[in-house]
Amino acid sequence: MSGGIARGRLAEERKSWRKNHPHGFVAKPETGPDGSVNMMVWQCIVPGKPGTDWEDGYFPLTINFSEDYPSKPPKCRFPQGFFHPNVYPSGTVCLSILNEDSGWRPAITVKQILVGIQDLLDQPNPADPAQTEGYQLFIQEPTEYKKRVRQQAKQYPPPV
Amino acid sequence: MEDLTLHDGIASEEISEPFQCCVCLDLLYKPVVLSCGHISCFWCVHKSMDLLRESHCPLCRHPYSHFPVICQMLHFLLLKLYPVAYNRRENQILEEEIETGIYSPQFNAQASNHSGDPASLSTVDFESTTSSDPSSIRKGEPCADMELSNCDSQCQEKKYLQVSVADVLCLACNQLLFRPIVLNCGHVYCESCIIVPAGEMLKCQVCQTLHPRGFPKVCLALDHLLEERFLKEYMLRRDALQLKQVDLKHERPTIYSIESGKQGDNLPRSSDRRSKNVHVGVGCDSCGILPIVGDRYRCKDCVEKIGFDLCGDCYNTQSKLPGRFNQQHTPDHKFDIVKLSKTHILHNMLRLVAVRLEDNSTAILVDADASEDSGSESPSPALPSDSQENAESSSAPTVASADGGEDQTGFHSTT
Repeated sequence: MSGGIARGRLAEERKSWRKNHPHGFVAKPETGPDGSVNMMVWQCIVPGKPGTDWEDGYFPLTINFSEDYPSKPPKCRFPQGFFHPNVYPSGTVCLSILNEDSGWRPAITVKQILVGIQDLLDQPNPADPAQTEGYQLFIQEPTEYKKRVRQQAKQYPPPV
Repeated sequence: MEDLTLHDGIASEEISEPFQCCVCLDLLYKPVVLSCGHISCFWCVHKSMDLLRESHCPLCRHPYSHFPVICQMLHFLLLKLYPVAYNRRENQILEEEIETGIYSPQFNAQASNHSGDPASLSTVDFESTTSSDPSSIRKGEPCADMELSNCDSQCQEKKYLQVSVADVLCLACNQLLFRPIVLNCGHVYCESCIIVPAGEMLKCQVCQTLHPRGFPKVCLALDHLLEERFLKEYMLRRDALQLKQVDLKHERPTIYSIESGKQGDNLPRSSDRRSKNVHVGVGCDSCGILPIVGDRYRCKDCVEKIGFDLCGDCYNTQSKLPGRFNQQHTPDHKFDIVKLSKTHILHNMLRLVAVRLEDNSTAILVDADASEDSGSESPSPALPSDSQENAESSSAPTVASADGGEDQTGFHSTT
């Protein structure tokens, strides 16, 4: 059943990304220690939006594609323990467009995913909390929440 | 890296975005048009269809349950517009088909002059050999076979590279298509040429196939191409139709009313518990419904790997259509009814569970890797945290995300 659309599609995604991509973002397939390229795992960087508390943070994100991609959405993951109301303790991002049953469509590109996640950073959805800490601070202590967000942004300086 | 640069070298033609498949992001190959008017490749649509429930358009999530027939008019149009890239796609897909042993319908090049001619819809014997098993021919001499057909079509294309109005005619009025609609059978008409008597289903005038569900939407990608390439003729058509507009306005309500008459709209929704009559992953080779619900008839004489199946309705109407996967099915073949016994149902359920498990196990592996890499202090093994998370994510988390895309309906949270 594995028709192998996934790899072809990812090659095209890579091509179009190299041609043109939003400023400050990084997205590239994982390279093994022996120099081999794994198209199914991409290492990305999502920059915090200028003018928000997330500004100047360059957040590393791993995207795992399955052989069923693009019929099924990829899994997006920040580092473990990432502070955000809609990020699970494991780092997995909870976003409607990444959910097969609600918002995912095979036409959604890597670029749209990354921009969608950048938007999510500053616009969390309190209706769907994925971690207790981030959610409770966001709801109950906005000042402390802001402080934590700025702190986290400092932890992820621009890549060299 | 290597194959990327190789790829770039071959794709010398710049493919305009409307003719890029939204699933594989490559040039559309053997295009299929869904009732929402969006185009995708034959295999891209087939592979992304839901084996258990109704499917959704990969671009707009519009629901559908019938696998459409390839639009031959678009097929030959794309071959003319992008001969190099289209032939590259042909070879690439053929290689994949040889690997899987399941083939897409083949068209003979002669039929290209009469785009949409129903006669050319019949299954094509490979390179006029008499054998009934395409795979044996192909496997025997795949390279020679490919080169032959490749060279053949290229020689032809060199003479007729220019697309003319004759390539894009409406099957009803025989004029340049205006606001084209592609029916489930792959035939193309002007929107204004499709007339549905009140209370009846939309029927293709060429092949007499019923179009499932409601009135389809205009195929905008094709419409824009027509306007761009044949501006003068297109405007003439528009002006002529505007004169008739008054008449059309009277007819429109009756056309849309058929949307409530839902034939073939009985695929189980996720909440539906009647799913025991579902033939998981089996589609009808005539109307294209996938999965078949209720009676299923399987051809005893078709030798192809994918088999040949009909749904109860199509079996009873003595469908004469060829198979969807180039099966050499003929009307004198005999059928067996396939009953879903308890063991069948159990088997299907196990299959689905197995698929789920596969998913999970890969996720678990990935998890284990990730926690190792990050040198995590978390003492808990990957498995419990993962299963917990799967439980969490299965509760359909939605987050509103503002997106810059133009046609991103359904992008936003519904909660």
